[in-house]
Amino acid sequence: MTAIEAVQLSKTYTYHHKAPGLRGSLESLFRRRTLERRAVDHVSFAIDQGEIVGFLGPNGAGKTTTLKMLCGLLYPSGGAAQVLGHTPHRRENAFLKRIALVMGQKNLLRRDLPVQETLLVHKELYDLSTTDFRRNLDELVDLLGVRQLLDVQVRKLSLGERMKMELLTALIHRPEVLFLDEPTIGLDLVSQQRVRDFLQRLNRELGTTILLTSHYMEDIRHLCPRALVIDQGRIRFDGPFEDALSALLAAASAAGVENAPDPHTLPEPGAPGVLEVPQ
Amino acid sequence: MTLHEAARLWRLIAQLIKVNVMMTLEYRAAFFIYMLNATAQPAMSLLVWLAVNDASGDALPLDRAQLVTYYVLMGIVAVVTGTWGAPYLAADIRNGDLSKDLMKPAPLIFTAVGNYVGEKIVKLGMLLPLVALLGWLFRDSLQLPGEPWRWLLFLLSLLIAASLTYLMDFVQGLLAFWIQDVSGVLALEDLLEKLLAGRFIPLAFFPPALAPLLLVLPWRYTLSFPLEVLTGTLGPAALAAGFAWQAGWCAAMWLMYRVLWRYGLRVYAAAGA
Repeated sequence: MTAIEAVQLSKTYTYHHKAPGLRGSLESLFRRRTLERRAVDHVSFAIDQGEIVGFLGPNGAGKTTTLKMLCGLLYPSGGAAQVLGHTPHRRENAFLKRIALVMGQKNLLRRDLPVQETLLVHKELYDLSTTDFRRNLDELVDLLGVRQLLDVQVRKLSLGERMKMELLTALIHRPEVLFLDEPTIGLDLVSQQRVRDFLQRLNRELGTTILLTSHYMEDIRHLCPRALVIDQGRIRFDGPFEDALSALLAAASAAGVENAPDPHTLPEPGAPGVLEVPQ
Repeated sequence: MTLHEAARLWRLIAQLIKVNVMMTLEYRAAFFIYMLNATAQPAMSLLVWLAVNDASGDALPLDRAQLVTYYVLMGIVAVVTGTWGAPYLAADIRNGDLSKDLMKPAPLIFTAVGNYVGEKIVKLGMLLPLVALLGWLFRDSLQLPGEPWRWLLFLLSLLIAASLTYLMDFVQGLLAFWIQDVSGVLALEDLLEKLLAGRFIPLAFFPPALAPLLLVLPWRYTLSFPLEVLTGTLGPAALAAGFAWQAGWCAAMWLMYRVLWRYGLRVYAAAGA
């Protein structure tokens, strides 16, 4: 059964152009030039329930914008999206209760309180019975190995610990579809590995459908049998991960990225505009 | 909204209030100082107006007892109706942090109430002894009404005033969907509030020509009106009209919120990674 479907999905951002300097500022005061940028351009794909799919592409390719449209955060400018039979941008409670979004760079937790307190808010937010709440919590705590962290103030957690607690909080209502935007960003190798293992078990044991973006090739290689490569708002590749790499490197060179990698040689990890590549 | 949904929302808000009480208590020293501030400001206005009253030979439109009651109790009304959310909401809209609220299956306009109520419970716990102290200092002129119905009407007008300020604040924050920087709007509203809500100058002291204007603008209903209800300066007709205007402004702000929220989400850019 299809969990996520995008049909000719598009998003155009409008922005204002200002020439440099004081003169440009004055000019734009009276004659503002409005420009458009097509971030996502007629994207179509379908993901089945229980799949785990990686979303790859250079910075600004449209990965996150697509993800945000599928979560209902952004109104599409064109096309349609369906997630679990719902139209995301309507943001119905029945829809929001079945999905979760985890962003590596934004957090759900309250800094001043232990995670336990935020979890109790989520219990009411997602209308979980005490039995379900306990069961889900026990399961996640074991999967993540964080039982001793539940009553520690969030601001006293390390980055890796915090990310695990973010995942725990985001998943306490057992979403059927999980969207992850850079879930391992800034984590050390060991923590990255732990988060990956966790996501894999989540997918295997609970059947959670997962769509994730990451700049770390290891994430995708380890987790996703299938990858989507998006570049300049268009889907360039949809298929097995092994074949995605060359499509991705071609996309990066075509985009004219500074120091774009030669598809035949592996670039240095962390080079500007370049995705990290397995050694 | 079904009954079941309403019950869930209620339990959620109760939980959020609890969490916010705990968070506020983390910063209890700072909040105590805010409350000193909230008591000292009306006390200073009171001293100024009492001096004017004495110098003018009781020629002011409010007598000594009314002035004292008005300003001693102002701290409570000001704390209950106080707002601070708009700059945060505007920043969340601009930098994309609103996304985490949009992912939650409960409307932000209701869940954000938890933050206000939680913080205000702690603030009131610290404020009430200070107000009692102020009342004791002015005990010779303080006149608290004895009739329970007047206190009930006061509580009702206070509740509507708190809803009105909450909605006005939320609506101003929502402007960030369209304008880069809402701080100018907030500063203007702050100025109008200081001037027209009766904070520094009781509205009875304004020139009579301005009175009809003050009655139809929203600011009277955010601070002055509940105090007028309590101090007994209003007749039955003025009381009824006041409640009608107060509720009317509340409804108007609710409609404004609905429109801005609906269209704002269409232009929301969910900035950031």
